[in-house]
Amino acid sequence: MSLAWKLGVTVVLFAISVTAAIVLIVNLLGTPPVVNFTSPSPGAPVNVRLQTVGSFGSGSHPTWVSYLVRSPQGQWVHTTVFQVPEHTRINVTIDQYDSGSPLRNQQLGQVTGTYGSVASLNGRLFRVINSNAGNGVGHTFSIPSLGVNVPLSGVNGNANLCGAAPCTTSSPHNVIRFSFNSPGPGSYRWQCFVPCGLGFLYGNGGPMSTLGYMGGFLKVVA
Amino acid sequence: MAIDTSVSEFEYPGEEDVGTPAKPPPVWRRSAWLQPNVLWAIAGGVIGYLIGHWLGNVIASGYQQVQSSGQNNVAIVLGLSLGVAGWLAGIGALTYPLAKILGYEPSPSPPQQSWVRYFRMTEDHKVVGWQYAIGVLTFLFTGGLLAMLIRTELLSPTTHVFGPGTYIFLVSEHGTVMMMMATSAVVGPLGNWLVPLMIGSRRMAYPRVESFSFWIFMAGYLVILSAFFFGGFPTGWTGYAPLQTQANGGMDSYLVGFGVIGLGMILAGFNLAATIINYRAPGMNWGRVPIFVWGILATTALLTLATPTLVVAGLFGILDRTAETAFYVNEHGGSNFLWQNLFWFFGHPEVYIMALPGFGIVMEIMPVFTRKPLFAYKVAAAGMLGVALLSFFVWQHHLFQSGINPDMRPLFMLTTELISIPTGFLFLVTLGTLWKAKIRFDTPMLFCLGMLFNFLIGGVTGVFLSDVPVNVTVHGSFFVMAHFHYTIMGGLIFAMFAGFYFWFPKITGKTLNRKLSKWHFWTFFVFFNCTFFPLFLVGILGMPRRVFEYASNLQTLNDISSISAYFLGASFFFFIINVVWSIYLNPHPAPDNPWNSLGLEWQTPTPVPWYDFEHIPVVLNDPYHYGEADAPPVADLGKVLSAVGAPAGSVSHEDLGTGVEGDGDPRPPIL
Repeated sequence: MSLAWKLGVTVVLFAISVTAAIVLIVNLLGTPPVVNFTSPSPGAPVNVRLQTVGSFGSGSHPTWVSYLVRSPQGQWVHTTVFQVPEHTRINVTIDQYDSGSPLRNQQLGQVTGTYGSVASLNGRLFRVINSNAGNGVGHTFSIPSLGVNVPLSGVNGNANLCGAAPCTTSSPHNVIRFSFNSPGPGSYRWQCFVPCGLGFLYGNGGPMSTLGYMGGFLKVVA
Repeated sequence: MAIDTSVSEFEYPGEEDVGTPAKPPPVWRRSAWLQPNVLWAIAGGVIGYLIGHWLGNVIASGYQQVQSSGQNNVAIVLGLSLGVAGWLAGIGALTYPLAKILGYEPSPSPPQQSWVRYFRMTEDHKVVGWQYAIGVLTFLFTGGLLAMLIRTELLSPTTHVFGPGTYIFLVSEHGTVMMMMATSAVVGPLGNWLVPLMIGSRRMAYPRVESFSFWIFMAGYLVILSAFFFGGFPTGWTGYAPLQTQANGGMDSYLVGFGVIGLGMILAGFNLAATIINYRAPGMNWGRVPIFVWGILATTALLTLATPTLVVAGLFGILDRTAETAFYVNEHGGSNFLWQNLFWFFGHPEVYIMALPGFGIVMEIMPVFTRKPLFAYKVAAAGMLGVALLSFFVWQHHLFQSGINPDMRPLFMLTTELISIPTGFLFLVTLGTLWKAKIRFDTPMLFCLGMLFNFLIGGVTGVFLSDVPVNVTVHGSFFVMAHFHYTIMGGLIFAMFAGFYFWFPKITGKTLNRKLSKWHFWTFFVFFNCTFFPLFLVGILGMPRRVFEYASNLQTLNDISSISAYFLGASFFFFIINVVWSIYLNPHPAPDNPWNSLGLEWQTPTPVPWYDFEHIPVVLNDPYHYGEADAPPVADLGKVLSAVGAPAGSVSHEDLGTGVEGDGDPRPPIL
């Protein structure tokens, strides 16, 4: 076999190896889509709407609990990654369609990091939720690096809960509203701190540790 | 009385009576591709997985946990387990035992000499050594690629490439692949290739088991990689409960993969120990055994005694996740400490499974390049056995911060510090060998010196870490991470490359390019230190392991480490290009003994014939009498040797003190 042939075989084998590696990396990089809330008018507040659903109802994990994000065009997107401008007021509305339970750590029942350290539940302001009373807390919306934490009061578990995303407002739900200021550019992780991975011991597996379900990124751009 | 070491006693395959023409075998036995090989193994693995997955769904679909989580661990575990069984059936590992069980006598056939033999089971220990080399390098490059991804994520504290779940999975997969690779990095390729040659044997004690241990090792690799398809696992390579119990399906891959590779490690350990104990050539008493073989022997003690604990611990974890037992679930009467204890009872000896063969290589190579006898040979052997023994008494230092009884801390601090004494023996032996030597700075020697430098840093920081106050302070930080990378990568991988460069001419019959070899060493050494030394500082400044966000003031140090890591990864290309160039593109035949080594393995022709020795050698001395003008010959090979041998039949049993008639190997060559 001539040197040219040998070189050719070597290059082909190397190309196959590199392709395999790239396929692996691309597979790993497969992250949820980004919903862009960048405002066309700088400085104007940005309105973000999310919803939580007890079981997504379709896809590879139909039984997993999940967040969804509504795009500026009004479509619900199965993602937990959204982009906002820097140093801007972010008005968040969360439609909470899941039931709740008492918190293991009562500290997470407190609202922190928002404007006035308050949020509203179905139009009524609150600073803290006693999760041992009423329907408890279903999830939290927390951005640890910004100190933001908002408990999401649960829906009555005996009601006819929404079982497949995206849920509509005809299903029983709570509406939680709050605002916070976006920081400088960067990716800021946010997540739910209530162990809600049903079927996983201690509730921390599955959706709790998978991007696109109970955790995501707040991408802040200049 | 002279010893008859003639070849006539042996009946080599292919030399049988050919007076009667044999009936040609059927087509399926003549075609290598129709016989068991790696393609059949892949097919068997896929079929086995599908059957197991289907069976798991049938068995467990009614479980509440399965319904709620959307994850059927029973199906995954059964799929992976039957997949491994299918892989082994496809490669032919079950053919011989099944034939014996069913009353058939498998017909022997001579070892194939075509390239097909590298893709199937074989009874030639040198081919198995090659297979292990390719397997280990595959592990190494997979783990290395994952390391590049980890360092890419850590380039910035706030701009992320991966999500937190993907990041911890990358860290976990990297750690698991690398640690499993490292257990076999030296024992697999060099142990299997060299041990029979170094002790004057024609074979391993159990050649089929040797091949089995390799193919199950590769099955374990594929099982661990399968975690990519099941959402990964978040525990790091240590797999701690209760995270283990609540994790995604990728955790099943981790547990099954560890069990499968563990089985291979146990079998490989038994096989090497049996070979070293029983298959030494006449005259090779324990005082003449090469120091590398001593290192392998000490390692086999760890492989056979520590690894079963890992396999059992993994089985408990699988049962917790499938049959809903509670070995590691505190609320149901179990204990997550049980996993930590069982895991580290294996895990800490595993550190020495990696270190001891590395030291064996360095001590084997140094006398060749210093042209001096190995300093304090017996101390070196004792040091390795001492490390092996003490390694079973230190595991709880990994639990200093986990809530163990504080009264136990001083004991395990003491035992951990004690192990630095026999380790110090090994270091002093190498320094004594270097003392006043005229060193030849060829590439193998450079890698040996690099290993000593790195291991010194890793070892000294290890002594600090064994102290409870320091351990409590830096526990779970990048300081610990840098420490064990200095010992494992800086120690074992440098030693592995020293061994590869040293024995490459004998193994391949080809000469490596010297310039490329030295480029590989210098880039590897410089960028290894640039990558990992800053991580000591990062750790002292408080950066925890396994977390993808960190304080912004640590970015500069992290960036130095990440950029150096890219160059470190690139330095491997010098090695790959060199090997491909020297074997394939521009081969130059290597002389039989290019380093003028006295080792028995170097006294064979190059390339080494499949039966290793034409005559079983009679060993007369240890192979370290370098620089001695009147040095006695090392062995009688049944022919006049150019430098080290003695005339055929010139040695008597009285000389040897063996009292053995014949050539000491009464068994016929394996067929």
